[in-house]
Amino acid sequence: MDLTLKIWRQENAKAKGHFETYKLTDISPECSFLEMLDILNEQLINDNIAHPVCFDNDCREGICGMCGLYINGRPHGPDEGVTTCQLHMRRFHDGDTITIEPWRAKPFPVIKDLVVDRSAFDKIIQAGGYTSATTGGVPDANAIPIPKHKADEAMDSASCIGCGACVAACKNASAMLFVSGKVSQLALLPQGKTEAAIRVKRMVKKMDELGFGSCTNTFACEAECPKQLKRTNIARMNREFICAKVCSEEK
Amino acid sequence: MKLIKLASITKKLAVGALAAFLLIFLPFHMGMNLCILRDDGGEWYRNVCHFMGTNYIVKCFEIVLLLCVVFHIVLTFILWLENRAARPVRYAVSQKSKTHQGSKWMIITGGLIFVFLILHFINFYFAKTGLVEGKYVVKVEKVQKAFSAKAMAIQQGQMKEADMQKLQKEYMSIMAAGEKLASDGKYYVNLSKQDLQTYFGENVEEYDYEPDFYNMARDLFHNPLYVIIYLLSFVILAIHLLHGVVSVFQTYGLMNEKYSKAISYLAIIYAIVIPLGFAIVPIQVILF
Repeated sequence: MDLTLKIWRQENAKAKGHFETYKLTDISPECSFLEMLDILNEQLINDNIAHPVCFDNDCREGICGMCGLYINGRPHGPDEGVTTCQLHMRRFHDGDTITIEPWRAKPFPVIKDLVVDRSAFDKIIQAGGYTSATTGGVPDANAIPIPKHKADEAMDSASCIGCGACVAACKNASAMLFVSGKVSQLALLPQGKTEAAIRVKRMVKKMDELGFGSCTNTFACEAECPKQLKRTNIARMNREFICAKVCSEEK
Repeated sequence: MKLIKLASITKKLAVGALAAFLLIFLPFHMGMNLCILRDDGGEWYRNVCHFMGTNYIVKCFEIVLLLCVVFHIVLTFILWLENRAARPVRYAVSQKSKTHQGSKWMIITGGLIFVFLILHFINFYFAKTGLVEGKYVVKVEKVQKAFSAKAMAIQQGQMKEADMQKLQKEYMSIMAAGEKLASDGKYYVNLSKQDLQTYFGENVEEYDYEPDFYNMARDLFHNPLYVIIYLLSFVILAIHLLHGVVSVFQTYGLMNEKYSKAISYLAIIYAIVIPLGFAIVPIQVILF
């Protein structure tokens, strides 16, 4: 496959970025997207053309949430339910032009090239995405009875890997799907329920403080989430938020 | 950038609540408009307008409604500004995600509906407040009551003989207004400001004349350009509602796996039936 790549290059957080065009020839369709970028970087280094293109990645099997590129107008590229590292070049055609951009959001500043600082997500988790009880040893299985459908729902919500594709996809750069996933996974289970009200208030407050936009129910987040978190999480968080504001005595 | 220091969800809830009130209001307005379709020379419609224009509870709701419209527009515009600020650097390639794009159009469709509302206000509401000249109706009962009261006063000798002649003259001119009598005989209709002067003279204020929305609407609906603008506006409203109705439910956390399908279908039905109900009226007037 012969490809033309248009890649966002930015020296550092403060520098002004621009698009750079690179040509790649003879790329195997079996190659993964990140391997393709590895090949590009090898060429850039060997031929002494430019500094290698920086991009985040770690496990390369879709579970760590490190990788994340905005490819041709879609976070994680054209496939559904996969991360960038699981995307393969067979999804593209010979002669294609591929535009690669970093996540764009005020709370996700670009550090270098395609790498963004996603510590805003950590701050939201620090604000309340936990249970504060010291749990001690591992309890017996089924010591606390939990209905199967609740356990399943909580597990689905907990499958979020924090990659930030929801924010990248949203036209408002809203983090509602991420935050609602975290709120849901804890609010659905008895261990997290006791602190549900204070948690949702703190997490939403932090989310707003960090400068994420608000939800306008476009659900691009749901369409792009590599773990396919559902929009019902957002509805649940709205519900939790209303209950917390109206019914909870905690401030 | 936060223009209003409230939680983002709280702002969304406020927008949703304001929208919900407007959603409840729309079927009432539609029902009122559908009265025009009745082949009774505007009897029903005039009675409804009279009720809406004079009932104090309705008048209170009118103020609430106006406030709802204003705050809905102001709040959504603020949210739109805040949301744009959340992405200072835009993408080079526009979003290609496989999702419905209804929300992208909300600010545009909303803006266009606002433009239509201004037109609607100029045509109807301002005539009511007296800012714009329209057509008017006078209740026959009112005239008769005022008249018999004056006649009584003369009979009891509280008024002079000279007034008698004046009253007679007034009576003659009001009799001339008879050609403007509605088919139900309860109203003098389709009166211009000039007509009011000619028929009712200086006493017109005491007869509590009201705007004749029936004839004003029919006049407008005979204008093809206005009908096109009107119909387009309701297509735009339908687009606005298609996203808006579901959004209210989503924002209030009422969407879940169990009901989301039913709610989505209901929202689609609402978004089509309501604008259609409004659109039928000018189509019927201009075609039949």
